[in-house]
Amino acid sequence: MEQPLIQTRELSRVYQKDGTVGVAALTGVSVVIRRGEFVALVGASGSGKSTLMNLLGCLDRPTSGSVVLDGQEVSRLDEDELAEVRSRKVGFVFQSFNLLPRTSALENVELPLLYTDRPDLAGPARAALEVVGFPADRFDHHPGELSGGQQQRVAIARALVNDPEILFADEPTGNLDSTASDEIMALFTELNRQGRTVVVVTHDAEVARHAHRVLTMQDGRIVSDTAAVAAEPGPPAEEVVS
Amino acid sequence: MRTRRMLAQALRGLNRNRLRSFFMATGIAVGITVLTVVLSAGMGARERIMDRVRVFGFENMMVWAGGPTDQTRIGGGAGGGGGGEGSEITATLKLEDAEAILGEVRGVREVAPFSRAGQTEVRWRDRTFTSPTFGVTPEWADVWDWYVERGTFISHEDNQLLARTAAIGPTVVRELFGAEDPMGQTILVGGVPFEVTAIMEAKGTSAGGGDMDNRVFVPLSTYMRRVANVDYLSGIRVQVQNVRYMEPAAADIAALLRERHNLAPGMPDDFRIRTPTEVTAMVEEMQGTFNLFLIVVATIALLVGGVVVANIMLISVSERRGEIGLRKAVGARSRHIRAQFLAESVAVTFLGGIGGILLGLIGNVILERFTATPALLTWHVLAAGIVFASVVGLAAGLHPARKAAAMPPVDALRS
Repeated sequence: MEQPLIQTRELSRVYQKDGTVGVAALTGVSVVIRRGEFVALVGASGSGKSTLMNLLGCLDRPTSGSVVLDGQEVSRLDEDELAEVRSRKVGFVFQSFNLLPRTSALENVELPLLYTDRPDLAGPARAALEVVGFPADRFDHHPGELSGGQQQRVAIARALVNDPEILFADEPTGNLDSTASDEIMALFTELNRQGRTVVVVTHDAEVARHAHRVLTMQDGRIVSDTAAVAAEPGPPAEEVVS
Repeated sequence: MRTRRMLAQALRGLNRNRLRSFFMATGIAVGITVLTVVLSAGMGARERIMDRVRVFGFENMMVWAGGPTDQTRIGGGAGGGGGGEGSEITATLKLEDAEAILGEVRGVREVAPFSRAGQTEVRWRDRTFTSPTFGVTPEWADVWDWYVERGTFISHEDNQLLARTAAIGPTVVRELFGAEDPMGQTILVGGVPFEVTAIMEAKGTSAGGGDMDNRVFVPLSTYMRRVANVDYLSGIRVQVQNVRYMEPAAADIAALLRERHNLAPGMPDDFRIRTPTEVTAMVEEMQGTFNLFLIVVATIALLVGGVVVANIMLISVSERRGEIGLRKAVGARSRHIRAQFLAESVAVTFLGGIGGILLGLIGNVILERFTATPALLTWHVLAAGIVFASVVGLAAGLHPARKAAAMPPVDALRS
């Protein structure tokens, strides 16, 4: 069988509050994500979906359990080794776009390249902006001069510029109106169709409908996984969810 | 990450937070302004003092007639234009003393005895000029390193024959003769006629601020007998063969003069000896005090600037948590973040340092206008300003940069 892109075993994350009492945000999560999947991670706020995304995306380390990303055990790597993995294999899109202010769209997309050995910054950045359908006449515009939908496209281009194995999006439409939301989700669908693995964290069922597989979380555990019903990725998720 | 990219990132970071960057740069600029002004003033003052020492000459000492009462001037005599004035006339220093010093004291190369009057009326036809007048021997020229522009300086023959020859300075030429040729003309010095036989080279302004070119030199013997009517000297300038002989020669001269003047033990000297060692010691003491003051002032100013920068950088780091988290999320290692904030801190203080130097230049102009202190700006001052500013930036940025680098990306992104 093909090696999965991500495989976790008994993943737990406990946050230490006030030094003594631990709050378990994630308890014993074992999940497999295969290449080319489009996964929605849903659940109420505090259910642990962001914590799981942070662990899968190598932003954080588990209290216990293991994460194997693209064949590499990453749960015991130190901060800088994790940063290296993120640089090469992971792209992130955030709810509030997190673009640098007073910085052109192009330079925002160039940002991840600064932390690689790539000699050319502008070339890949332009290419990434074209992939997400960002208008070429606005490459020099600052975030403040762009609509929400355009800003999120810049953020997606930034996540793609290092050609990552997997794209994580945390409530990517949370700050957008419905039209822009539809456009952004259509973009994710298109990126997934081109072969990119996509994981979207959301509490919005509309957004989750675009995914092929929905993982529902509650109290730090995965309580439902549509892939358990449909073993192969492919069938539209809405059939199962709704 | 490449250095150039890192610097570009730092400058962009500063540009994104212009007001904050301005405050940081200002904090440092104030410190560097103070440093520049104080350093320039200090070097100016030092240069002025050293000028005096140089005129005095390092191989020369002065033996003045009169006890050690009120003589504190540095490098007085012909250079200062009035070193012996104000003290009572002491009639014990004689020409024979000078000959004895040259003949008996080890290490003495040359002696130049002289007698003088601060203000003597000099007349040519209907014009008069008031001039310091000196009776000298030919050695004067060598020990003062002060020669004629035209003609012949006072000679031994002039002194033996009580010749009425005079060597006059360029100012005297201008004041008395205007455009006419003074050579061969007869002038009255204190009512006594002298023939102008030489014009001295221009010496300019002395360290004390006096004109050195308004002097009239005549043979010592003629001066003593015909002009001043005295049988004693004002002083003797003594040149030693080597700086090493300075202190022993001074001691020997003191002993010799006490013996020749029949001074019993316990009686005060009737002469004063000024060596450059003494002068330089005085200068160095003053310089030391001044340097200490300078270090204290500059340290306080830079400390204040450094605290301002460190504080604003800390605020900047906590306000830019999101940016830090983002950079880490897209692959920045701790060292990248650390380098970025350090570079920002150094860049802003570097720019502040340049601003401070410019403000310091303006400060120097103002200072020179309102005080008599000449400001001396050398590349040392400029380099010190830039280096100090950058070092302060590095020190002030260290903690904020470390703090930024240590932020876990998840925590930083959450805010």
